[in-house]
Amino acid sequence: MSCVRFRTLIASVAAAAVAGCTAGSGAGLDQNGQPIGSTGGTPPLTADFISIQANVFTPVCTKCHTGAGAPLGLQLDAAHSSSLLVGVPSAEQPNLLLVKAGDPDNSYIIRKLEGDPGIGGVQMPADGPPYLPQATIDVIRSWITNGAMIAMAASVSPSSKLAQRFAVAATSPQSNSVVTRVRPAIVVAFNHEVDASLVGYTTVMLEKADATLSAEQIPISTALADGNPMVVVITPRVALAAGTYRVTLRGTGGGALADVNAQALGSDYSFTFVVDIAP
Amino acid sequence: MSMRRYSMAMRWLLAPFLFLILPAHAEPYLAVQTGFKCGQCHVNPTGGGERNTFGNVFAQTQLPARRIDTGSDVWTGDLTKFLSVGGDLRFDGSYSKVPQSPSVDQFQMEQTRIFVNASVIPQRLLVYVDEQVAPGGAVNEEAYGLYWSANHDWYVKAGQMYLPFGFRLQDQTAFVRQASGINMTTPDKGAEFGWERGAWDAQFTVSNGTAGGPVSNHGKQYGGQLIYVQSLWRLGLTSNYNDAAAAGGRGTYGAFAGLRTGPIAWLGEADYINDRSLGNGAVKRVATLAEANWRIAQGHNLKVTGEFLDPNRDIAHNGQTRWSLVYELTPIQFVQLRAGVRYSQGIAQAPAENARLFFVQLHGFF
Repeated sequence: MSCVRFRTLIASVAAAAVAGCTAGSGAGLDQNGQPIGSTGGTPPLTADFISIQANVFTPVCTKCHTGAGAPLGLQLDAAHSSSLLVGVPSAEQPNLLLVKAGDPDNSYIIRKLEGDPGIGGVQMPADGPPYLPQATIDVIRSWITNGAMIAMAASVSPSSKLAQRFAVAATSPQSNSVVTRVRPAIVVAFNHEVDASLVGYTTVMLEKADATLSAEQIPISTALADGNPMVVVITPRVALAAGTYRVTLRGTGGGALADVNAQALGSDYSFTFVVDIAP
Repeated sequence: MSMRRYSMAMRWLLAPFLFLILPAHAEPYLAVQTGFKCGQCHVNPTGGGERNTFGNVFAQTQLPARRIDTGSDVWTGDLTKFLSVGGDLRFDGSYSKVPQSPSVDQFQMEQTRIFVNASVIPQRLLVYVDEQVAPGGAVNEEAYGLYWSANHDWYVKAGQMYLPFGFRLQDQTAFVRQASGINMTTPDKGAEFGWERGAWDAQFTVSNGTAGGPVSNHGKQYGGQLIYVQSLWRLGLTSNYNDAAAAGGRGTYGAFAGLRTGPIAWLGEADYINDRSLGNGAVKRVATLAEANWRIAQGHNLKVTGEFLDPNRDIAHNGQTRWSLVYELTPIQFVQLRAGVRYSQGIAQAPAENARLFFVQLHGFF
């Protein structure tokens, strides 16, 4: 057998091996490719968060937006998306919220999905075209117009959710992380809706806490995320210089941070992060 | 030396090589067709982005079906002895159809990128920037410094960069690029050590593992790649482990190969991903690619690609396939016209996995 024929044979066998892999029948699977029953099934697409998570974020966005390598740190799996979307400033355009409750036109996620000329980077999903049908985007628009409410996961009943102790669910930046680009805000997500009247400078503190210096209080403004009462957004009033910072949430004593059912944190909660930005 | 005399000199220096080799372009199949390493034509030794002087002259004189004669004025990318630039523009018209959804046809600026390379110590030390300027606002893709050893058998690169993993395909949505999570949309900040000796190439990287996002103190991303290049074939092994997530690590392992049989360049890659970073146990994925590029004539290429993705090895009947047929015409230097069709097939319950795409693309590069 000549060398050329041998190489052609090798290449043909390799191509045939790939061609022999066929698409799955989908037997016994739901819309997200999971066994039916393992996730409670995928609900039809409606203008509520659980449905959008199951029909859009999970099957489409988490191809890339998961884990530590999620582009720009935006994780859109079911465990993180609600905390990192609603009322949270965009990393690409910090003057816009990713989801601004009640205002889809000024929600950056809509601009990214519709390919607005002013977006940074490319239209999402990044593997488009095809992009999301306008009808699907319109459902997300409706969810935002209706207040971008974050419903509890179907697997967690309201009673069992309330039975859990009020606690911090996630922070951004994460505890002990290093921030190398300017962050517009610090985000703290809770497992319950937070009593907005208790969110303020007496319960939320940001300090510069370098080991060699005494702690220096940083002026901040605090508020619940727009349309997401489970998330507190802490906005420094001055640019954070390089150094170590500590966020402290006061969870004991009079006026301690509590949920809407007056369940306090029970103990102070603090986390630190490092800002490492060249001057 | 004046610009003109410099260009003339480069042309004469390169001319003997141009008659010995086939056309080259920023695609790995061209490296397979020519038997070259990626760094032969690109500033970046692992390929992609700005072409070096050799790559620029080569692309103008050998790639197009017809070359418009510019006399002695040959674009080399060099503005001065120390500074060079390049660019890449892709503008698409497409028609796509997803089952149960209306079809969509649109024009779209896929990308416009500008490359700037400052060779502050010629052949030894460079500072390189790759900036996407459209669509939308500017996005920095790569920005790094690179130091070459005196005999160019090793280098060190540090900054934000594309990580080496398998074939650096133009199509970032290919299953092997998307499932591995290592592609041109996820540059990372870190350092790369490269070693080049004869037919061997190797790269070792350590990076944040967060694809440009906030840095985690949980761990880092480590990569290693080894390639053996011969004129007719090449074989590579590659691996990457990302330990930056709190929930667990993500291991990605691949093998890739290229082979030339007459006018056809074959590419194959198979990747295995073991992802424990999602906090719900291990998800094991497999992605494969086989591609044939038939050089019909100078300036004409027909590309057929078959891909397979198993998004979770523990679940049956969930495989996805994707077939692409693309014709690429390079009528004159700097201009390429592409037209293709892509047929995706997955489970019927997921309409997006069963999309059809027809596209034409204007691709300008310099």
